[in-house]
Amino acid sequence: MEKNALLIVDDMEINRDILKDIFEEQYVLYEAEDGEEAIAQLEKHNGEVALMFLDLQMPRKNGLEVLKYMNEKALINQIPVIMITGEATVESDVKAYELGAADIIYKPFAPSVVIRRTLNIIELYEHRISLEKKLEKRTAQLRISQEKLEKNNDFLINALSSVVEFRSLESGEHIKRVKTFTGIMLHNLRILYPEYRITDEQMKAMINASALHDIGKISIPDEILLKPDKLTKEEFEVMKTHTTKGCELLEKFKQEENEFYKYCYDICRHHHERYDGKGYPDGLTGEDIPICAQIVSIVDVYDALVSKRVYKTPFAVEEAERMILSGECGTFSPRIIECFEMAKPELFALTEGRFSFADAL
Amino acid sequence: MELKQVYEQLSGSYESVMSRLMTEERVKKYLLKFLDQKMDCLILSALEAEDYETAFREAHNLKGVCANLNLDRLQISASELTEALRGGKPEADITPLVEAVKADYRFTVEALENLR
Repeated sequence: MEKNALLIVDDMEINRDILKDIFEEQYVLYEAEDGEEAIAQLEKHNGEVALMFLDLQMPRKNGLEVLKYMNEKALINQIPVIMITGEATVESDVKAYELGAADIIYKPFAPSVVIRRTLNIIELYEHRISLEKKLEKRTAQLRISQEKLEKNNDFLINALSSVVEFRSLESGEHIKRVKTFTGIMLHNLRILYPEYRITDEQMKAMINASALHDIGKISIPDEILLKPDKLTKEEFEVMKTHTTKGCELLEKFKQEENEFYKYCYDICRHHHERYDGKGYPDGLTGEDIPICAQIVSIVDVYDALVSKRVYKTPFAVEEAERMILSGECGTFSPRIIECFEMAKPELFALTEGRFSFADAL
Repeated sequence: MELKQVYEQLSGSYESVMSRLMTEERVKKYLLKFLDQKMDCLILSALEAEDYETAFREAHNLKGVCANLNLDRLQISASELTEALRGGKPEADITPLVEAVKADYRFTVEALENLR
């Protein structure tokens, strides 16, 4: 709606008349003779009022109270207010400006000055409001393109990680489960140990990075990767290189200062490290193992236990839990175990529900 | 009587009021309205009722209108009364200030009556 009205608020009719005579040709004029009426007029003509002249001293509600009302209703940024006042008292001027008045004009005023200032202020507000609208629109567009990018990103990561899985003759569900379980574990970690200061954005990046944990398996020969029987010691040594091989692959596209790259690298390299230093490839101990890798390693172990593989049938969730807690699958940090215990109901429910027959296909 | 003569009688500034309000027609319109408003009565009855908040506001209004219309003499006494009433019940005796406003108001109204 076009704003073509002025609201003149003053308890003295003569003062209102003077302003009316100045503006009657260019504007529709609304009047109010006290604060309460001003508020009623604002409610009625909100969308039309381009500017309000406001007297300070009035019965019922005074000018400052009207300004307060406009602040409460977020009108103060939409409708500029020029205070018309009898005298300059510093306190009331400061208060009026604090409450968002656009300008203060003292009586007696010269109409030409009032006209100029009024038009300037209206233009300024219109300009600002239209800029804000443009910015809002632009922000919305940016959000949409960012969502699109994220979606494409997810798609590419999923496609890439399933290449490895298809080679391993797995169904592609392992990656999905690792991502889901990593998300659940991170959620619990953030509650139990906020000191890791993992932001929403970092959590999202870690979940995506978890999909690439086994990317190095692409370099493991078929006879080892697909071997249904237990690996020999030598074969297992080759199999272990999937961590470092994965990193070699990633390093070709190294991005300095990129958190996502760092998570991918850390997870890829360290998701077989163990808390007591008995893991590989670097034998890191304790908190030297990046937290994202610690999470993915327990998730990877849990999922391997409860899934069907060429060389084994799935374990029941309780058995998998027992094996993890007893240290049969290597040692995890007490914190990670605590998170696992807390995440257990959700992990078990998913394992026995939605994901249960995924690998039987 | 001409507007200019009335302002001379009031020792108010004709040039100033015309420079701001532009036409005699408008100034006259406002002045006649001022005559009808009996602003002195509003102040006096509020003072009588010891309603100092209203008395202050009415004195303040009188001062503002006088400023707009260049009723300079009345504006000065209205301004003094306004300041005495700012902040509620005055501590000092305001009788002289009230009397001054009454006298200036009478003086102003008498001159303005010539416009009719």
